[in-house]
Amino acid sequence: MTDIRLENNGFEDFAVREHRSLWLDAWRRLVANRTAMIGLIVVVVFILSATGAHFFWEYEARGDLDYNKKLLAPTILPTEEGPEIHIFGTDKLGRDIFRRTVHGGWNSLRVGLVAVGISLVIGGLLGLVSGFFESIYLNFWESLVLMTLLGASLGTLPGWIARQPMQIILFAGLGAASVFYDRRLLNRKAPRQVYFGLLGIIIGGITGIFVGTLVAVVCGILGLVIGVLLARPLGGKIFSSFVMRIMDVILSFPSYLLAIAIVAFLGPGLEKGMIAIGVVGIPVYARLARSAVLSVSQKEYVLAAQSVGESHGRILFRHIVPNILSPIIVQSTMGLANAILSAAALGFLGLGAIPPEPEWGAMLGDSYKYLSSGAWWAVLFPGLAIVFSVLGFNLLGDGLRDALDPKIRS
Amino acid sequence: MEPLIKIKNLKTRFHTEDGVVKAVNGVSYKMARGEVLGVVGESGCGKSVHALSIMRLIQIPPGEIESGEIWFDGQELLKLSDKEMRQIRGRDIAMVFQDPMSSLNPVYTVGMQIMEALILHKNMNKKAARERAAELLSMVGIPEANKRLDNYPHQFSGGMRQRAMIAMALSCDPKLLIADEPTTALDVTIQAQIINLVIKLQEEMGMAVMWITHDLGIVAEMVHKINVMYAGFIIERGNVRDIFKKTRHPYTKGLLGSLPRIDEAPGTKLVSIAGLPPDLVNLPTGCPFYARCTYRQDRCRQEQPPLEETENSDHVVACWRWKEI
Repeated sequence: MTDIRLENNGFEDFAVREHRSLWLDAWRRLVANRTAMIGLIVVVVFILSATGAHFFWEYEARGDLDYNKKLLAPTILPTEEGPEIHIFGTDKLGRDIFRRTVHGGWNSLRVGLVAVGISLVIGGLLGLVSGFFESIYLNFWESLVLMTLLGASLGTLPGWIARQPMQIILFAGLGAASVFYDRRLLNRKAPRQVYFGLLGIIIGGITGIFVGTLVAVVCGILGLVIGVLLARPLGGKIFSSFVMRIMDVILSFPSYLLAIAIVAFLGPGLEKGMIAIGVVGIPVYARLARSAVLSVSQKEYVLAAQSVGESHGRILFRHIVPNILSPIIVQSTMGLANAILSAAALGFLGLGAIPPEPEWGAMLGDSYKYLSSGAWWAVLFPGLAIVFSVLGFNLLGDGLRDALDPKIRS
Repeated sequence: MEPLIKIKNLKTRFHTEDGVVKAVNGVSYKMARGEVLGVVGESGCGKSVHALSIMRLIQIPPGEIESGEIWFDGQELLKLSDKEMRQIRGRDIAMVFQDPMSSLNPVYTVGMQIMEALILHKNMNKKAARERAAELLSMVGIPEANKRLDNYPHQFSGGMRQRAMIAMALSCDPKLLIADEPTTALDVTIQAQIINLVIKLQEEMGMAVMWITHDLGIVAEMVHKINVMYAGFIIERGNVRDIFKKTRHPYTKGLLGSLPRIDEAPGTKLVSIAGLPPDLVNLPTGCPFYARCTYRQDRCRQEQPPLEETENSDHVVACWRWKEI
């Protein structure tokens, strides 16, 4: 055997490179990207003007009305009509459009942040848990919690039909039972599914009997399906496919239609609009997070972390989450643009902000009728505000994607 | 002395849509403390799965350890709780993986990843862990270890990453190091460096090493014993010398024949084993190697040969006709 020369492995020739984190590298790439920087500047101007207006330039929308100044054209210098300058002109109620546009920015920013926050937190968590448990062996407690939750949520349907909340608890129990059932019997699939199917029929049927035969039959059939589903010994996978099918249902609605339906259900108002836009966005983040988790979990460093004896929680939050952040960050930036656009659409239809409140979409909706009388400014400026803020977030998002994942750049 | 690891009739299966894949089929052997064992076989012969079964890193489902006992240092690993098993992983049994490019997490510095196990198992504080990590890095032959700790994996070459992985694996002085084809993804000169490094560290630290590989040539110089696996069975097991000089199984013979030799006349063709390993879903009833064997006879198709002792009690082989080979 040749001598072992640990001291010299040929590495001395290389100077130790300055250490840079992935994030710092990404930031450098972002700064070098001109369109991304334009996007960033637009976004920063938007955020500063919106927050600045909200905190340092008071504006009371209620009572802001002066018919004498109705539909004045934009002016830069004081005219003989009055000392005030309206650089964006005034609208049909004589309100200063510049002021309303800047204040509308605050509302758009709020809608964007809250809606993306809702989609990101709910969708991201669902996707994270689905993907993680689909790709990693569940320990006893994890499968118990997941299967109980699954049983409970599947049981909601027969429970709702029969108006018997008991059923939810019983089906949750059935889900839990599937975990206690000896894992070693998974070879013999048929009997297990027969047992669980029968139990499902009984649970579904019995509570239905108090209500009526038809309900008992319907609930029995549902119980059979749920029982067979719960009998499949694929704890993580069945949970994941359940979550993803719900996401598919949400995605199958045209997004604006669904948002309008939710607002119609909740009632108008900016806050309700935020919730509606947020809910519509959930599936996007859930799918994105799940697919990212699935691919990262296959990486050898996840196996290596397990082989060092790290716990599931630690592996998920220390090894997987940081590695899926970049697509999530990109999607959230793009999502902000999308949410602003959706809010404007809702506002335009009169479903978002309640009237005197300044909101870009509502401002457009209020003023487009005056286009024919030549009041172009009442539509142009809020419209431009929408265009620039959306464009800014999109450019920034594109730049972030290039910066965070240099591999996809051609 | 009590063996470090004693495996009895280990069977690992994967439940897939095509049926039950019988990946490991009743593997039994012992490994002494400080022993270096080579586990050799083609791709898909159950080498890695059997190692992952020892670590209990088989994904369940679809995987399942159907039966068997794995005694490690007086403990039955398959009976431990998840939490107890996590204590063993990394502290008593450590593992080095095949692909150094993906076995380090790109978002953390190399130093942090080495410190991880130290903080987890040795309750060290950050400062002590960092010092130890620097020691480990220089032990595996990375110069300027202190500065290198703050490097990210992408700033390391493949060979350096594998060294870092070895440092990580050795951080808690494990009793057993499982190396799952750690040199496959590296070029030949780096391979030799890594092998030499592991031999040196093994001699210094006295741990047992299980070296999994498909390349008999690699293990020839470094191991004490060899397990030759085929279709999830151990088909021959013995001291290196016996395996190389007194080969008793036609499959091992085929593996040896497929190695290029430096003393061969130029132009000699390498021998390859005809055919493919059997389908692990539908294993044949007789000898698993029957279809590809040049020594086969009728008996081999009907009855599976058990592992039998040869002239040397340490050298066992599963072949009806081992005496003739």
